[in-house]
Amino acid sequence: MKKFLSNHPLLMVVALLVSPQLWANDDAVKRGEYIAKLGDCSACHTAPEGQAYAGGLKFATPFGELYSTNITSHKDKGIGDYSLQDFKDALREGKGKHGRLYPAMPFTSYALVSDQDISDLYAYFMQVPAADVDNKDNDLNFPANFRFGLIFWSWLNHDPQPFKPIANKPEAYNRGAYIVNGLGHCGECHTTRTKTFGIDKDRIFMGQVIDGKYAPNITATELNRQGWTYRSLNDLFREGYSSKGTTFGGMFTLISHSMQHLTESDMKAVASYLLDQAELDVDAKTPQAKVSIDETSPGYELYEAHCAGCHGGQGQGVPNVAPAMVGNATLDQNHPFNTVAVLLKGIEPQRYSYVRAFGEMPGYETRLTDAQLLTLVNFLRESFTEQSEPVTQQQLDDIRDQIPDNAAH
Amino acid sequence: MSTFSFTLNGEQIGPLELDSDTAMIEVLHEYLNMTGTKFGCGIGVCRACTVIVDNDDGTSEVMRSCINNVGAFNGKKVRTVEGHATTKASGEVQLSPVQQAYIEGYAFQCGWCTSGMVNAATVLIEQLRREPIKKNQIESRIEEALEHHICRCTGYKKYYESLKKLIEETEELWT
Ligand code: HEC
Ligand code: HEC
Ligand code: HEC
Repeated sequence: MKKFLSNHPLLMVVALLVSPQLWANDDAVKRGEYIAKLGDCSACHTAPEGQAYAGGLKFATPFGELYSTNITSHKDKGIGDYSLQDFKDALREGKGKHGRLYPAMPFTSYALVSDQDISDLYAYFMQVPAADVDNKDNDLNFPANFRFGLIFWSWLNHDPQPFKPIANKPEAYNRGAYIVNGLGHCGECHTTRTKTFGIDKDRIFMGQVIDGKYAPNITATELNRQGWTYRSLNDLFREGYSSKGTTFGGMFTLISHSMQHLTESDMKAVASYLLDQAELDVDAKTPQAKVSIDETSPGYELYEAHCAGCHGGQGQGVPNVAPAMVGNATLDQNHPFNTVAVLLKGIEPQRYSYVRAFGEMPGYETRLTDAQLLTLVNFLRESFTEQSEPVTQQQLDDIRDQIPDNAAH
Repeated sequence: MSTFSFTLNGEQIGPLELDSDTAMIEVLHEYLNMTGTKFGCGIGVCRACTVIVDNDDGTSEVMRSCINNVGAFNGKKVRTVEGHATTKASGEVQLSPVQQAYIEGYAFQCGWCTSGMVNAATVLIEQLRREPIKKNQIESRIEEALEHHICRCTGYKKYYESLKKLIEETEELWT
């Protein structure tokens, strides 16, 4: 009888209306929804075409294949039976209810997430519609297929510490530091890994190769050298496209699911931290970029024939069609990885928002010889950047070796 | 200004004095009066402007003439939609098998995408002639060849079905 009553839809509505506790919970759910976006939980826990948060996305790791899990409120198949404490342990310490979690789940960064944010996230996930989807079996190599071994990984690499605001920096700056280092888990991609695949604490944000793309150096020194400003970062993070070029690879996914949803004040906070501007200069203009094209060079001949149709004869780009080469941050990275990777494999058409989409950047792997590719890359670097070291055949081969065949995104 | 030469449907073109920032399609239309190749989006998305380049090793490939400037075709052997049909001694025009199949299948209406659709299908057939495939791969290979070509009239089904019928009826293309 009791069961019948509580399941009656009308009575449930009444219960919702009269319960103040549930109303309070509503705010937590809303906040939790935003935090889930900051943490980009859906990018990893939702498979293509799959139900939201039902897991099943495949990760190719150095140890084999791993699948993300169902984190909907399903009691047996999801995390519906997690207590707040269980949830905290999973997020911050990588302790799942069924054993240690593989570090593909970025708990090393989430360790910084505050109690308040975790409990809001918890409120949100406890009401995510249950997905009746079983977790997939992982296909990992010995010894990584023993979860027990992960305790040793944790000892070596994981030292959960709460977020400590940096003294004498304003609140907004510290909010930025909290997002970038914690929920934003930027360091999972942008920081070099050690031999045990932990984050190298001495090389925070100094760049590494991930899934066939280079997540570049995003230290304040480097971003300022490249002439990033609040406006260009805001454009990049909101639209995936700024005066300094477009995004691709994991960064495109992160922006689509997560960063474009930042509130204005959080966006400013993130920029303030990334640019190391305690007082963010919101009106700063992108500095004049270098253009020094030698129109008689063989590089220019190749550029005119193959690239100028989209990127413009002077590298000026075509707004909303192809990014400018002038001032382009990808070209201006010290490491030529992404320039070479994009030239070899191209970029598949990407939709950045309802109103903004880019067609494909073609791949030139089969159309241009290695010698031509090198001439072109070095021409781009000489014409539009301060990077004076020529890229060598050896570097080209090394980069090619690190790119999977299907890397056109 | 630079000089460029290439062959077009077997005929030697050039040397032409051109601004090297000239799109290939502009060269076809404005300098050579070859207007069968259609200009669509201009940014390499719709594929209407697709032409064929014949490589020295006997293979052929598609290239878009709007996003590639004339320099990308310098010294190459280019074929456009005008190059497929032949004229018999009697003066009767003989369409290529792909063209004939598209007409019979009522594959196109306004004809804007047809130059690209004919060239992409022709390259596919030439590939299959060199390397026949399994019968069960026909559909996926057609999808691969035509999937990016945009058509706003008859839709894609009639192109797809006409080409599928042609390949199925040409037995040397599959095993
Ligand atoms: C970069 C990818 C990635 C992101 C981002 C991510 N996760 Fe995970 N998560 C995983 C993977 C992979 C696993 C499975 C690990 C394993 O099986 O050891 C996992 C496991 C979990 C678990 C343990 C579930 C269980 O089955 O016991 C929880 C809880 C969880 N994630 C919650 C979250 C939340 C909440 C967020 C957002 C704040 C999030 N994850 C973001 C990849 C990710
Ligand atoms: C069909 C038009 C087109 C042609 C031709 C083309 N590109 Fe691109 N290129 C693009 C587009 C569009 C993007 C951005 C794609 C995205 O991010 O979605 C891009 C991105 C790039 C990037 C990465 C920088 C950034 O900000 O995204 C580089 C480097 C680049 N192109 C170089 C070249 C070079 C060199 C050539 C000639 C060999 C060339 N492109 C030919 C359209 C083109
Ligand atoms: C899933 C991996 C991944 C994560 C997580 C990630 N990035 Fe990136 N990021 C990349 C890759 C790959 C690139 C290079 C491709 C590009 O330029 O879009 C990139 C490029 C960038 C760039 C452009 C730099 C340049 O020189 O062009 C900035 C700025 C940036 N990321 C900031 C961030 C911030 C801030 C975060 C955290 C909120 C973050 N990234 C998280 C992978 C990631």
